[in-house]
Amino acid sequence: MTVPPDFVAVLPLVAAVLAATAVLLVDLALPGRRTAVLLTALVALAVVALAVIAIGGEERVAFGGAYTVDALTTFLQILFVAIIALTVMFGPDYLVPRGLPVAEFAIVLIFAMTGAMLLAASTDLLLLFLGLELMVLPGYLLAAFHKSDGYSTEGAIKYFLLGSFSSAIFLFGLAFVWGLTGSTRVSDVAAVLSTFAAGQGTLSPGLAMGLAFMTTGVAFKIAAVPFHYWTPDAYQGSPTPVTGYLSVGPKIGAFALILRLFVEAMGPLRADWLPVVIVLAAATMTLGNLVALTQNNVKRMLAYSSIAHTGYMLVGLAAWAAGRMEGLEGLLYYGAAYSFMNLGAFAVVAALQKRSGVTSNLDTFAGLGRREPLLGALMVLFLLSLVGIPPTAGFFAKFYVILAAVEAGGALSVLAVIMVLNAAAAAFYYLRVVVYMYMRDPETEQPALRHGRLVWGGLAAATALTILLGIIQGPLLDIVGEAARAIG
Amino acid sequence: MSDSLDAYLILSGILFAIGTFGFLARRNAISMLMSIELMLNAVNLAIIAFGSFIEPLRADGSVIALMVMAVAAAEATVGLAIVMAIYRNRRTPLVDEYDAMRR
Repeated sequence: MTVPPDFVAVLPLVAAVLAATAVLLVDLALPGRRTAVLLTALVALAVVALAVIAIGGEERVAFGGAYTVDALTTFLQILFVAIIALTVMFGPDYLVPRGLPVAEFAIVLIFAMTGAMLLAASTDLLLLFLGLELMVLPGYLLAAFHKSDGYSTEGAIKYFLLGSFSSAIFLFGLAFVWGLTGSTRVSDVAAVLSTFAAGQGTLSPGLAMGLAFMTTGVAFKIAAVPFHYWTPDAYQGSPTPVTGYLSVGPKIGAFALILRLFVEAMGPLRADWLPVVIVLAAATMTLGNLVALTQNNVKRMLAYSSIAHTGYMLVGLAAWAAGRMEGLEGLLYYGAAYSFMNLGAFAVVAALQKRSGVTSNLDTFAGLGRREPLLGALMVLFLLSLVGIPPTAGFFAKFYVILAAVEAGGALSVLAVIMVLNAAAAAFYYLRVVVYMYMRDPETEQPALRHGRLVWGGLAAATALTILLGIIQGPLLDIVGEAARAIG
Repeated sequence: MSDSLDAYLILSGILFAIGTFGFLARRNAISMLMSIELMLNAVNLAIIAFGSFIEPLRADGSVIALMVMAVAAAEATVGLAIVMAIYRNRRTPLVDEYDAMRR
């Protein structure tokens, strides 16, 4: 018996669906046994990661070109598995004191990962949309995970309404692009668009409108200014481990969609969309940082800071459009570095909220450095990395993106200057948390909390990656270089 | 039955605009959900129109339209569940009263 090559290519996806099912069955067979559920989830995720690596060894094209396994696919899928594994580890300490189910949390997360993995491998507009929906629908459920809590459901309904609104906009654009180019395959759309770029014929108004609608839909998903209104409330309201996931998983997923859409499908028209991305990037990082300066709630502050980080990543995309391959590499490096440092920061916030009723206000951090020295030190590391101070992952991520923008020259050097100014302004609100941790006394002295082994394990992994990516850049640079060459 | 593709696309555009307006103007979460459904149906009308007027797109058109319907159904399910959950907390379906985090 031979296995059809198409099925071999989608094996990681099958493994991911089976992983979620396995967790579901274990929870059914052993109700209330959290350790068994978590162990199953982590082992299953390791199996998925192995499947991704095993399948990703060679380039595969399956289902008539709709599904592609290349270096970019493998890189992004591994990143998604890592993000989900870390989130599963950070979850229980927050969920259990609040009486929220841990098994369902892990299952919904793994289903969301399935969507993100499909997104990373799709080279067909319809499949990209399907992957996007499979990723965000579990995200809406996770945002409303604390369903008896007014904040959680309020954040969820805002996330859901604006999310499906943007999906509808994206789909309307997709209908016109498909109808007027005759195909949903990314490569076919690129072929049609490259004839316009070569000067044969002009872009019809319908097709231009379709591409514009798709761009708008994606801009909502990555929370680029002016399409970011849902972000602060969705992030502040959600349970903290979920917020950590939402600030990383769907964002990298949407960037996977952007890479396939802008770089592969709309690559021939890069000169036309470059100004749009430059304006989006400048507005996104500036507004995100300015509003983050005024926040007193750490979750809300990190929400606005995640908007700013979206802007930094868009600079990498703009640098690619201006002819620098390093821009794409910088974007991917930034995606990986941002994932680990941001998840780490949210994990510390979640760990502090282990005692039910503790808010995520800045006051919670007062005296943390003295009360829990290790947790405080880790928070400082993640915040310094988010600021971009060497030798952390965040510094080199920003460095590569800015370098690519400077080398591209022209309007991009202005963008690089804006980015440096933004990074300096951002230092102020990140370091404000550090000031609270080490220089303010808490109003009421609280005893130190005991954190679970899983949380420490996850924090150790996030810390190690944040430091390692800052000291040894070579291996990841090779990987992202190969991934960038696969599409650019 | 008009035999012009443009007529159907314009109708689809008008439906989409009505849906968008409804989403932006209505304050009731259920009405906003209905407006999103209207936008998705406008998308489906455009897809079916392309499929029936352009011969090579015919087979693809039906598949894409079915896919859009499935996604719309999944979205409505999740959406109504979230609306139910927040209604139990707040006793109102009006979204402008969901402002606890902005105060």
